[in-house]
Amino acid sequence: MKLDPEMATARGAASAHDPITLEILLNAVGSATDEAFAALMKAAHSTNIKERNDHSTAIFDPAGRLVVQAARSLPVHIGSITGAVLGAIARYGDRMAEGDVFIANDPYTAQGSHLPDVNMVMPVFADGALIGFSCNVAHHADIGGMSPGSMAGGMTELHQEGVRVPVVRLIEGGRWNTELFEMLLLNVRGAAERRGDYFAQLAACNLQSKRLVEIVSRYGAAYVQSAFDDILRRTERRIRDGFAAIPDGRYAFEDVMDDDGVEARDIPIRLAIEKSGDRIFFDFAGSSPQVPGNINLTMNATVASVCFALKALLDPDAPNNQGVIAAVDVEASEGSIVNAVFPAAVAQRSQTCQRVVDIVIGCLAPCLPHRAVGASNGADTTAVFSGTDPRNGRSYVYVETLGGGVGGRADRDGKDGVQANLTNTSNLPVEAIELVYPLRVEEYALVPDSGGAGRSRGGMGIRRVIRPIGHACTFSGAGERFTTRPWGIFGGGSGATGGFAVANERGVAPLPTKPRGFAIPDGAAIVIETPGAGGYGPPAERDAESRAADARSGKLSSAYRARHYPEEADRDADPPAGRDPSREAVE
Amino acid sequence: MSWSVGVDVGGTFTDFFAYDAVSGTEMLWKRPTTPDDPGQAVVLGLQELARAAGLPLDRVTRLCHGTTVATNALIQRRGAEVAMVTTKGFRDLVEIGRQVRPHLYDLHRDYPPPLAPRERRYEVLERIGPDGQVIAEIDWRDVDEIVAEIAKSGVPAVSVCFLFSYLNPAHERAVGTRIREAMPDVAVSLSSDVQPEFREYERFTTTILNSYLQPVVDRYLSNLDLALQALVPAATLRINQSNGGTASIEASRHAPVRIALSGPAAGVVGAAEIAKRVAQPNVVTIDIGGTSADVALIKDGRAEIAYGRDVDGFPIRLPMVDITTIGAGGGSIAWFDRDGLLKVGPASAGADPGPACYGLGGTQPTVSDANLVLGRLSGHLGAGRMPLDVEKARTAIEKIAHPMGKSVEEAAAGILAIAVANMVRAIRTLSVERGHDPRGFALMAFGGAGPLHGRDVAAALSMPRVLVPAAPGVVCAEGLLCADIKTDFAASLRTTCLDTYRLLVEERLAGLAPAVDDWISAEGADPAEVTVEVGLDARYVGQNFELSLPVAKAASVERLTLPGPESLRSAFFDAHEQAYGFHDPDAPIELVNCRVAVTAPPPGARAPLPGPAPHGSEPAKPVGRRKVSFDGRSWEDASVYDRADLAQRQAIDGPALIEQMDSTTLVFPGDRAVVEAGGVLVITLNGQQGAADEA
Repeated sequence: MKLDPEMATARGAASAHDPITLEILLNAVGSATDEAFAALMKAAHSTNIKERNDHSTAIFDPAGRLVVQAARSLPVHIGSITGAVLGAIARYGDRMAEGDVFIANDPYTAQGSHLPDVNMVMPVFADGALIGFSCNVAHHADIGGMSPGSMAGGMTELHQEGVRVPVVRLIEGGRWNTELFEMLLLNVRGAAERRGDYFAQLAACNLQSKRLVEIVSRYGAAYVQSAFDDILRRTERRIRDGFAAIPDGRYAFEDVMDDDGVEARDIPIRLAIEKSGDRIFFDFAGSSPQVPGNINLTMNATVASVCFALKALLDPDAPNNQGVIAAVDVEASEGSIVNAVFPAAVAQRSQTCQRVVDIVIGCLAPCLPHRAVGASNGADTTAVFSGTDPRNGRSYVYVETLGGGVGGRADRDGKDGVQANLTNTSNLPVEAIELVYPLRVEEYALVPDSGGAGRSRGGMGIRRVIRPIGHACTFSGAGERFTTRPWGIFGGGSGATGGFAVANERGVAPLPTKPRGFAIPDGAAIVIETPGAGGYGPPAERDAESRAADARSGKLSSAYRARHYPEEADRDADPPAGRDPSREAVE
Repeated sequence: MSWSVGVDVGGTFTDFFAYDAVSGTEMLWKRPTTPDDPGQAVVLGLQELARAAGLPLDRVTRLCHGTTVATNALIQRRGAEVAMVTTKGFRDLVEIGRQVRPHLYDLHRDYPPPLAPRERRYEVLERIGPDGQVIAEIDWRDVDEIVAEIAKSGVPAVSVCFLFSYLNPAHERAVGTRIREAMPDVAVSLSSDVQPEFREYERFTTTILNSYLQPVVDRYLSNLDLALQALVPAATLRINQSNGGTASIEASRHAPVRIALSGPAAGVVGAAEIAKRVAQPNVVTIDIGGTSADVALIKDGRAEIAYGRDVDGFPIRLPMVDITTIGAGGGSIAWFDRDGLLKVGPASAGADPGPACYGLGGTQPTVSDANLVLGRLSGHLGAGRMPLDVEKARTAIEKIAHPMGKSVEEAAAGILAIAVANMVRAIRTLSVERGHDPRGFALMAFGGAGPLHGRDVAAALSMPRVLVPAAPGVVCAEGLLCADIKTDFAASLRTTCLDTYRLLVEERLAGLAPAVDDWISAEGADPAEVTVEVGLDARYVGQNFELSLPVAKAASVERLTLPGPESLRSAFFDAHEQAYGFHDPDAPIELVNCRVAVTAPPPGARAPLPGPAPHGSEPAKPVGRRKVSFDGRSWEDASVYDRADLAQRQAIDGPALIEQMDSTTLVFPGDRAVVEAGGVLVITLNGQQGAADEA
């Protein structure tokens, strides 16, 4: 945070809008999106929205540019709303009228990111003129398709993943298109709950729209529109100014995804970044073609991941609006894993989004040593247990996503056992799991030695052992960095890989990275270990105090410490295993 | 004479409110806090009150204390070294927490590490299951080894935290007893004692925090108790808790985590009492100090209670007055962000160096500087004790005015408008989350800076009136005297069968009855005046969070009558409708916790606290006139009144300023302020625009 008033730049004075009115206006529209976010959370019926807050709210200008989003909106969601708004403008244009509401989820015809994210777009009018769009997106707990929850790994075609909704008018002039709504609900599981979630989305649109009208009536439509222009310009300027931290040049990096859960292995994603003055260009040329398994990204998911990484590296507190996206050029060939085309399956896109963030950080690490971190757990490790509860005869599905390590940092060790990159969802308490499901959690711990060695070590992965009690239970899951280790930077070592395994008294057997419907044998438990993270700086430079803390805390075994931090550090010893973008990235 | 004294220790000032129930006399006092030993200011202030105002120290029978000692020990990490004993396989659970980062985009911001470091977290083989059944017996060899290690380490406090102990505390108790026997001087906290509630991470963290604070709070309270026994020998000392009620010294030593938000909670209790005097049951309170503003809701005359909140990154799961803190106060600094937009706060000039106008070396423009430049503040602070330097304020603000091409006054109005916008945003979101419409509430503005900004906040939220207490700077100290003796108990329920729920709750209540009786006698409460209230935490099956339903209220546990299943169901539907905007009549409902709140009026005569009688019998005349800019563009010639002169029912039409020792109230042009019961100023807005709407 800059507190120095001298900071005021000529921009402030030169602008058509003074920095005070703009701040107050921005505060008011931001408040509207925050209120709508709370309203959607309150009114929703499903746990996924109400408790995990898998939803976002935003206001767009009449041209379809993102002006402001709620503080707790999610990066990938915003790209998908943008697609729906632009789709609505393209398809309905001048025919839009007060009381209309559009919905869309399709990754291809409506530029969504995966089918469960249902976007809702409401054009807002004042005195008969369009003044903007009140929008939100919510992850529906089921959108139909071949698998309950519409998120299972291993689906190979978009049609298997659920019902596709292009941009359509759900409400016209205040009148619901009930035939369309019936058809939608007929195609999803848990229709009553889904129906409630649509109403909650509408309530949030209405509240946000009402607030926008109030703001316009206070300031005037022309003023608000020009203020929006100014805000987007300032944000773009701010982001571009931030590029100054990156020396002009070309930076390249690549990494591989473990697999797609179907047939492809070691799937490469390549990135070259060209920075010149206040321009930056992300080129994904050479990345793998789209894969059969459902880890493909649509272009907007790729752009959202790039923008997230750039903001994390340069300016975490910058506003989230079109100005950020406008400052960044991204190119990826059509039909590649980072710009997939129909009929590529996309439900598990978040695994790949996580990796794209790591790659951007790896690419820019050499010139941003204070902000860059070692590779994080780079996954959205998902574990699903299902069966029939012997206590009441009801079927159950328990879904959890688990965090892992965050990479070592310039001034501090990486964070242990936490969600990384684009995800930040909380866990379910052990006592909640055991009360609700016929499962016993036998261990919930950090994985010793899983953080990469370094001056600052990488964060540690999470170990969770779950045993079904008295019934037949199947396990499905999706993991990444189960075969390729998260790399360290500036000489830091790699973190440990994660993995799924099945264990009984006789031993432990590994499972695939994306197991589907594995029947857990009687008396066995599932062991989940999430990846750690890469270290930062050479282990030999780890200070005595940190080494003493390592020994005290028991986070590192004595064997590990002897290997990476020998008493008299031999500076010529073999470098730690793994890659090091700080040595390979600059071309 | 029988004097009661409320003492609230804040970051900058320690406030005193003394009241004689017999004569109705009041005394107010304010003195600087003594941060190194906050008890010193308590003692000094009482001596000063005796000397300066003639408070008869030997006739003080009750002293209620709001203290930041626990909060500060946490924020400054000055608590004790803590060891934790937990279930095998789970020693990292408190470190993983809810596995989230505090800021999505910033990979460099972390939640703080646990207060019990990993090397002091020990695992015992034992296990209780989800029905409270024993799955694995305690392995005493583990326990003996751990006890030996803890003894060797010399830590002064130990937390015992086992899974499902809230259903079956036997294992925690057995291990706790073993530790106490081996180490009688070590303070032991059991999670099943501190807060026997479902959700292990929050329960464990609350317990560890209790251990962490225990030695510090114990030392502080012992010393203070000793000093006060000498100074005010007839007084019983009571400590305010985060739930808005007071507890004895003994209870506070035992459960220091319950006083983590002692001071701010007293402010809301005081505000609720003051609102009653002017018959305003629904009030949003805003307490604006030097660095922050605390916002809370009073509904139907009662402060809303939350059942958990974060304090400095640690979740505390206990009933407490529901307060939201915003980084906006008199010392908040105005600055330009990287995109050139003007921001105000959350950084603050604090008390040292303070705003530029204090002349103590501050050079950054602050909210107080803006108020001074616009004539809203007089040239003096605190009844003429401290002169304010307008020129220094202008110079500071000029630094931001110049780059914007604005006058100093315009920039000052901008600073105020932005600070107000920040407060408005917080109240709006809070209202939606709690399911209230602020237009149906009055705004009570207090704290030193509250009455300067309350009107702008209310106008922006379309709230019809602003209430300003008689002594806005000491509402917390005053509230301490109104606070009941209070404690909370919780017991786990877990049932989806509403038809038979009463049997289960009655069983829990019977189990709690001895503890309630013990509490009444330990606190010296009059059993005839006790109120017992039962609340149930309920949710739809599958939800992760509960709604708290008040279900019964009586003079004793035995006399409680629980509602029938149908009334309970409809109470849940109403609460769900209020919180979430819908209810589902067919979905199964689950009861999770039973909560019992026990309150009693303070022992001895309950101070009726009518509020100060206005001094003047004739409507007061202005003591002067001052140029004030209410909107930052035009200047009004405003009458200045001395608050102490105002007569009951006197009406003052804006533009006017009402000044008193610790605060200035603005009456905007077109508004009308009336002195109502208890000296409360009730300002009715005429809907005219304030600075919040302009810039």
